[in-house]
Amino acid sequence: MATSVEPRLANGAIIVGKWKGHRYRIERLLGEGANGRVYLVERDRVRYAFKVGSDAVDLQSEVNVLQSLALRQQGEESFLVDVDDYVGEDGREHPFYVMRYVRGLMLADYLHKEGAEWFPLVGYHLLGKLAGLHASGWVFGDLKLENVLVGDYGRAQLVDYGGVTAIGKSVRQFTEIYDRGYWSAGSRTADPQYDLFSYAVLCVQLFEGKRLAELTRTLLPQNRVAEELMKLIQGNASLRPYAGWLRKALQGGHADSREAAAAWQRLAHRPGRRRRTAAPRWMRRLLLASAVLFAVSVIWLIRTGL
Amino acid sequence: MRQILLITDGCSNVGVSPVVAAAHAQSEGITVNVVGVLDQDEAEDYGAPEIHEIARAGGGLSRMVSLRELARTVQMMTRKTVMHTIQSAVNKELQQVFGTASIEELPPDKRGEVVRVIDELGETSPLQVALLIDTSASMKSKMKAVEEAIQDLMLSLQARQGSSRISVFRFPGSRHGAECAQVLEWTDSAAGLPSLFAKITMQGTTPTGPAIMHVIDFYREDKYGRDNREETDGMRSGNVG
Repeated sequence: MATSVEPRLANGAIIVGKWKGHRYRIERLLGEGANGRVYLVERDRVRYAFKVGSDAVDLQSEVNVLQSLALRQQGEESFLVDVDDYVGEDGREHPFYVMRYVRGLMLADYLHKEGAEWFPLVGYHLLGKLAGLHASGWVFGDLKLENVLVGDYGRAQLVDYGGVTAIGKSVRQFTEIYDRGYWSAGSRTADPQYDLFSYAVLCVQLFEGKRLAELTRTLLPQNRVAEELMKLIQGNASLRPYAGWLRKALQGGHADSREAAAAWQRLAHRPGRRRRTAAPRWMRRLLLASAVLFAVSVIWLIRTGL
Repeated sequence: MRQILLITDGCSNVGVSPVVAAAHAQSEGITVNVVGVLDQDEAEDYGAPEIHEIARAGGGLSRMVSLRELARTVQMMTRKTVMHTIQSAVNKELQQVFGTASIEELPPDKRGEVVRVIDELGETSPLQVALLIDTSASMKSKMKAVEEAIQDLMLSLQARQGSSRISVFRFPGSRHGAECAQVLEWTDSAAGLPSLFAKITMQGTTPTGPAIMHVIDFYREDKYGRDNREETDGMRSGNVG
């Protein structure tokens, strides 16, 4: 339930934090999550991502996660920049927090633009991010296409921490088709395997999105099993090399997400992997065109009486 | 924590007003959530005003949804209500300890600790959800989706660290004029869930109000409910402050 009844902030609006007094200028809306909206903002000529929530408790839960991550992952640049409230035009107080702005494209857009050959590497980066979270005692929870941004050279980044859950607790927020429980493949208790399951669905969503949607529309709940996802994987040329790995992910067979990431990377590097992929369509068309041209010129030569 | 989750598709037409009944529930510390199920081809939600009124009186949430959204809505509503219940209890404590009326009034760096406690209690406090299902004739085509939603809710509740039980009631109860009947006893497993409503004859009247009253009585007589409430109270005062 996106109960976001918050009025949308206008581009150019100035927001001043109530407790710390930082000034932010809203540039534009970046996205909308279950717990609020994210804007691109500017403060002292630096751009940030600015998240406004409708519920102070939900938002604070996310802040707690980000803070604990910052403590554990020292050395890495802190993600969380500011936490404060502002008083809106309606006189009500709105909680917000500010993060480092990550420039990037949505995963599907990235692969569309840069080419599907980036997929194994992006996948590896993503698995690395998940493994990092798991090592800190958290599960991402709501892993889905919309929550992955890809920067330069396939560097994947997780966004929207609304679903992040301490290992052992019930997953706070999830999306049905990525959910292990929805596919009768296990519980909704947060464990690293929960994220890896979602990761496998995400791969299917990337390459077989239409068939996956079709499946969720037509399958009866009792027939909604991971084996159906496997069929889609087996039927897709890009996914087939990873079928063994993905099967393990769907069955909760990867004991450790670092190892799972390493195994993924080995697959991506596997020598002699069908490099002889079919020629690009333009090349095939060119070939066809030249053949036609050749035939035409032969006929013409014959006709014009040698 | 005790909740009633009402799933219906129309207006009540027999007995005490469901809004009054929901207010009764609220006064007993039971939150009433309401999901209105829309037909696929039914653009007009004529039951909506009553549904929202019932939830408001019962201190809970309400939403009109299509069958596709039913499972997700039931799950999220239950979760949100757990958090709200804990939150309002914590707010009371805050008032006593800091003299502030709500979490929002605390500075952000103090909020963190309080929210950690809320999250922890939300995950561990014992929870009971009585599902109250409208089985009047018009609901017939929707029962598969309702069953699925109940199953899905159980899956989510089983993932909690605290004990969670559900019970399922239906109304009207039977051919012989009973307003409400229990079809599934308190349980914490999904075992008995399949085909809950298979043998049921669906019939006309919609005694929503009397059915809510029935479930309140049921809670009142139920030993588990009382035990759980004491436990929750104990945890509250032990952990917050």
